[in-house]
Amino acid sequence: MEIAVIGSSDFILGFRLAGIHRTYAVDDEPRLVEAVNQALADPQVGILVLSASDMERVPRRLQTQLEESVRPTVIAIGGKEAGLSLREKIKRSVGVDLWK
Amino acid sequence: MALRDIKPTRSELINLKRRIQLSERGYKILKMKRDGLILEFFKVLGQAKDSQNALNAAYARAEEMMAVANTVEGAIGVKSAAFSVKEVPQIGVKQKNIMGVVVPEIQGSSVTKPLVDRGYGVLGTSSTIDETASAFEDLVEQIIRSAEIETTMKRLLEEIEKTKRRVNALEFKVIPEQAEARDFIKMRLDEMEREELFRLKRIKARSQA
Repeated sequence: MEIAVIGSSDFILGFRLAGIHRTYAVDDEPRLVEAVNQALADPQVGILVLSASDMERVPRRLQTQLEESVRPTVIAIGGKEAGLSLREKIKRSVGVDLWK
Repeated sequence: MALRDIKPTRSELINLKRRIQLSERGYKILKMKRDGLILEFFKVLGQAKDSQNALNAAYARAEEMMAVANTVEGAIGVKSAAFSVKEVPQIGVKQKNIMGVVVPEIQGSSVTKPLVDRGYGVLGTSSTIDETASAFEDLVEQIIRSAEIETTMKRLLEEIEKTKRRVNALEFKVIPEQAEARDFIKMRLDEMEREELFRLKRIKARSQA
């Protein structure tokens, strides 16, 4: 399986340097949503990397889907918000806020 | 199970007693499973915090190196180097079992590459490109590690929630209802016995009179 990266052209450039070929340069929201959906449907994609700011730009519904998706696993990097959805989940299932 | 659906018979009572025993055994086992899962979850939680921090640090470093490379080489130089990288990092997913929860074990291969395998010309580019590339390779490695831990967490949390719900359902719904039904049948049977006795006594009194 492969890693896919979706983001602005600056964001994906570095990942291309690391050898990742499945990079999708997107600049506006409709293209972003389209690329995300495409990556979610692709069975070859094991990990999907997004920047945290792009993660916030996708519609709320898709965002939840991304947060809950296990295959591919979606990782948002670069923001402080990355652990927030997980934190909510922990609160809900364990009953205590264990994160930090 | 509403009380009026229960037939107050002895065989039903025996069945019910057996079912209560089963429910209680299941309840105990599920409770242990829940506690075990939470313990397991605590272990992963520590790792998750570390990997989150490491991921952010790796990203910050990679960004910084990218900025340097862009300044030194120019955007075109970096891009041309980036597009000539041929080796694609692959990830393999194995499965691991934590207390009945299947979690993935993700392994990356050919993520970090030696300088000559990167594909761009070594002579034509400066060392900043190399450093940027290796910074991003580290980042990718960290992403793979984070992905594994995050998926494990998600799966564990799901399982904890499911188990908790089952434990609670057994504790507060199933077992009390069964106990209630058992008590109802017992009372009813006793009542019927008393009625029977009373009837016999009446018949006896009438026949003697």
